[in-house]
Amino acid sequence: MRRLVVLLLLLIPALAVADADEASSMRLSVKPMLCIIDKRTPLCELAFLVAWESDHDGYYCLFNDFREAPLRCWNDARDGQLDDERSVDQSFSYWMTGDDGDNRLAMVAVEVLRMDTDDRRRNRRTRHVWDIN
Amino acid sequence: MWMLALTAFACGAAAAEESAPQAAEQESPWRLGIALGYGMRSNPLVQSDDIPIVVDLDIAWFGERFFFDNGDLGLTLADNRAVTASLVARFNSDRVFFGNTDTRFVSADLAGMPLAEATEFTVPDRDYAIELGLEFLLDGSWGQLQFTAFHDVSSTHDGFEIYADYGYGWRSQRWYVEPSIGLSYKSSALNDYYWGVRDDEVSVVLPPYQADAGTNAHARLMLGYQISRNWSFSLVAEYEHLNDSAAASPLVDEQDILGYFAGFGFRFR
Repeated sequence: MRRLVVLLLLLIPALAVADADEASSMRLSVKPMLCIIDKRTPLCELAFLVAWESDHDGYYCLFNDFREAPLRCWNDARDGQLDDERSVDQSFSYWMTGDDGDNRLAMVAVEVLRMDTDDRRRNRRTRHVWDIN
Repeated sequence: MWMLALTAFACGAAAAEESAPQAAEQESPWRLGIALGYGMRSNPLVQSDDIPIVVDLDIAWFGERFFFDNGDLGLTLADNRAVTASLVARFNSDRVFFGNTDTRFVSADLAGMPLAEATEFTVPDRDYAIELGLEFLLDGSWGQLQFTAFHDVSSTHDGFEIYADYGYGWRSQRWYVEPSIGLSYKSSALNDYYWGVRDDEVSVVLPPYQADAGTNAHARLMLGYQISRNWSFSLVAEYEHLNDSAAASPLVDEQDILGYFAGFGFRFR
């Protein structure tokens, strides 16, 4: 029993290092990362190009905030990409997981920036020449 | 074991929080920004320098009733689907040109006639006026309109100004273009205070002049590109045509005022 505990104590840090390696080797990119909406364009209707690359072949899954199930999984792969067409009005994230399914190896946030305002006073013409509302 | 369960529960709770898209942000009452770049506003006065624009601060706060917007103080009287009406106190903007004038020895008067001897000449100074007025803001799919009517409450010029500005903006993702045009009627008292030449200011260089009321016209074109959440790039060009009565003043060298600015803006969000 004591040997088992010692073995576990030795293995846990090793497993943690392996996880950290996997996480640090995952690269995730999303284009575009910024979308702007206002009263006339209340939704971002875009095809987001999501691309990932890892140093190791493996089982990887791509998720986003809109569904619990993965958007897509790749088996025995070290890179991949997906065109994700979406209509959004709030910021959200994409992330990659490995075969454990829980550990996020890389995450990218897509920002939806609302540029209009319901307060007309914020659009007053002032003497500022640069202000872009 | 209970530690493990607690950790699992905490991780689950965190995952549940992350799985929902972020909630819409509450708009801050503050609007704070800074722009760095290069720009210039021409000065219509004789013997004057153009006004450089290198750094521009944007400091504003909007409460439910009261607001402060880059020196303007406002009390909102009505805010509904049709219009936002506010009582606003501000400084008059015509004074800004009189802060960038030179003192020179001149050998001709302002009409170009030679003088017997070189004479020192300084453009007379003018004070800032505190003005109180009403402001009406309207907007819709057709664009945005701003009407204001201000009267001097500081006994500086005792005049008034009525202003209208219309703008329409187009956005295509990160790009934004907004042209705007407007008119500004200046009463004779206001026009004469800033552009007239009073008896005690008359000299061999400067003849007397009394300005009447007049209407200025202005146009503006703004092109913006949103680089990121906080950073943007802006190109702005402005044009103002001084009313004929102001332009006929011996203090005025150019009837048209041109301004431009190109720079990067940072807005705290």
